[in-house]
This record gives sequence, structure tokens and C-alpha cells, in this order.
Amino acid sequence: MSEHTSPEDRLDELTAELPREVAPPPDLWPAIRAELAPRSGRTIHWNPRWRLAAAGLLVAASSSIITLLAVRSREPARESSVVASTDSAPTAGERLPAHLLVAERGYARSIDALWRTLDERRDSLAPSTVATVERSLRIADSAIAEARSALERDPANRVLADLLVSNYERKIDLLRRATELAPRT
Amino acid sequence: MYALCLRLAADATVARELTQDTFVRAWEALPRFRAEANLTTWLHRIAVNAMLERRRGEKRRAARVSLADDEDEAEMVVSGVVMAPDVATAIDLERAIGALPPGVRRAFVLHDVEGYTHEEIATMTGLAAGTLRAQLHRARQLLMRVLSL
Repeated sequence: MSEHTSPEDRLDELTAELPREVAPPPDLWPAIRAELAPRSGRTIHWNPRWRLAAAGLLVAASSSIITLLAVRSREPARESSVVASTDSAPTAGERLPAHLLVAERGYARSIDALWRTLDERRDSLAPSTVATVERSLRIADSAIAEARSALERDPANRVLADLLVSNYERKIDLLRRATELAPRT
Repeated sequence: MYALCLRLAADATVARELTQDTFVRAWEALPRFRAEANLTTWLHRIAVNAMLERRRGEKRRAARVSLADDEDEAEMVVSGVVMAPDVATAIDLERAIGALPPGVRRAFVLHDVEGYTHEEIATMTGLAAGTLRAQLHRARQLLMRVLSL
């Protein structure tokens, strides 16, 4: 801190340094899943937009698990592990709008690059970390697949397009966080 | 989500319940979610409302107004919890935020930590702009004093 920093500025600096995420208790997400499970059976009559938002909700919740792993990853003892690819590279989706196909190719490149990085560092991740990353990515993949499928049926729907893009970005964010958990080897 | 709930509640047990309550409420409210809205902002708003409802319930159960709601007592509460104002670190700031009175804490967390605008916070909480500004000013004054900035 500069000796000329005002108290107001110093408070702003400290506030900006606060962590954006805080590791939740380990049993929080299972508890939420248990609460939501009986309710999810009632979603059968929801329209696709709500179901997709539900998928986004699950992805949002799963990001907290990655945060939890960030704390665990600082533990010194690590075990060798294998990160299985849950790659969701887009399949040929000619029914999607052209700009989305272009965007998908860009996302696929980013996802591939992040997977390569994660694969290179996989030995430094604990099995529990790998399992949680994979679970989170499966949720993200499921959300992407559902949004994509709905968009293929309704290509002009901008809400669905935004949701697909958002789900890709969430997956990339999850992958990026996972690579940050694994120190360079 | 958990970070916001923890900072709003300043209590790990309450934050856990609040996070769970937020996701359950969100799930139930999904049919009312406007897909063009930001999902995170929507979740945060649900969390704030859940916290506000919780506070109202606590107040109803209490025989008298909580000391922490009294601005005159607020400084005592803060000073009592944040002991020995050593070096001003982020950890000290977390503790100091947690010791703020609930109203000013909510305003500080939403505005200074989460980055919401006055208008967005007013929509979330139903607070008048003037009240919000006063709470923010109060929060910052208390934090600067307790952190010896």
C-alpha cells in the first residue's frame, strides 16, 4: 500500500482483494440435490425454456463445488489420477444459425486447449477432485446438449441461443478453474 | 452463491441454510424466471429476499429490537467482535463485515463486494435510495474505523 493511499482507497483495495468464492461445506451440494430431486420429477410439464434454466441453475450450483476443490487442492498430499474426457465438442448442427456454428467452433477450440492443459496436469489432482470436476462437467455438457437440441428445433429463438452460449462459457469457466487447481508439472 | 450468503448472514450455519433455501426457491420459481435476465443476479435477488424474510421472522420472535439494529449500539458490536485491530488484512475485513449490523452489512456486501448499483440494490431490497446511501456510508465509516485505516 502506498503511504499516500487514503482510508477510502485502502478500504476499496481490501474489498477488491476479497475472494469472489468461498468454499461451502462439503455436504451442502448433496443436500441441495436431495432437496431438488423430488421436485425435479414435477418438471415434466414445464416448457423447454424453464427446463433449460433449471439446467443453468444446476451448473451455477456446481461451480461452488469447484471452489471447494480449490481449497482441497492446496493440501500437500496428492494422488495420481486420470481425468477422463467428457468433451462436448459440437456435432454437425447444420440447423443452427451460422453465427452460432462459428461460435461453437471457437468454444470447441478453447475447450480442447483447456482439456489438453488439464490432461498434462492430471497427475497432480486427487481422485476426489477428478470425480468432482467430471461431475460438474457432465452437468455442463448436459445443459449444452439440451440447449443445443432445443435450438435446433427453434433456431430463431434468441433466448435459447443466449442460453447455449452461456452454457458453453460456463463449461469453459469450469475447465479453466479445474486447470487452475492442478499445478504445472 | 455461498460467498454471498455467508457475507449476508455472517454465520456459517445460517449461510448454509440460506444457500440451500435459495436454490430450492429458485427451482420452484423457475417458471417465473425471465430467460433474458441474468441467472446469477436472479439467484442473488432470491438470496437477499430469503435473508430479509429470515430477518423479519427473527424480529417477530424477538421480544425487543436486536441490539445490532440500533445504530448507536452498532459500533459497540463491531468493536467487540473485531479484537485488536492489527494489520488491516482481507481476513480482518471479512470479520469486520460480519460484525456490521445486518442492514448496513447487506448494503456493503451488495454494493462494494458484489458490485451492484444503487438502483439494482433498491430493486432487490425495496430500500429507498437515500436509505441505501446512508447505510453504505455508515458501513464504510465503521469498517475504516475498526480496521484503523
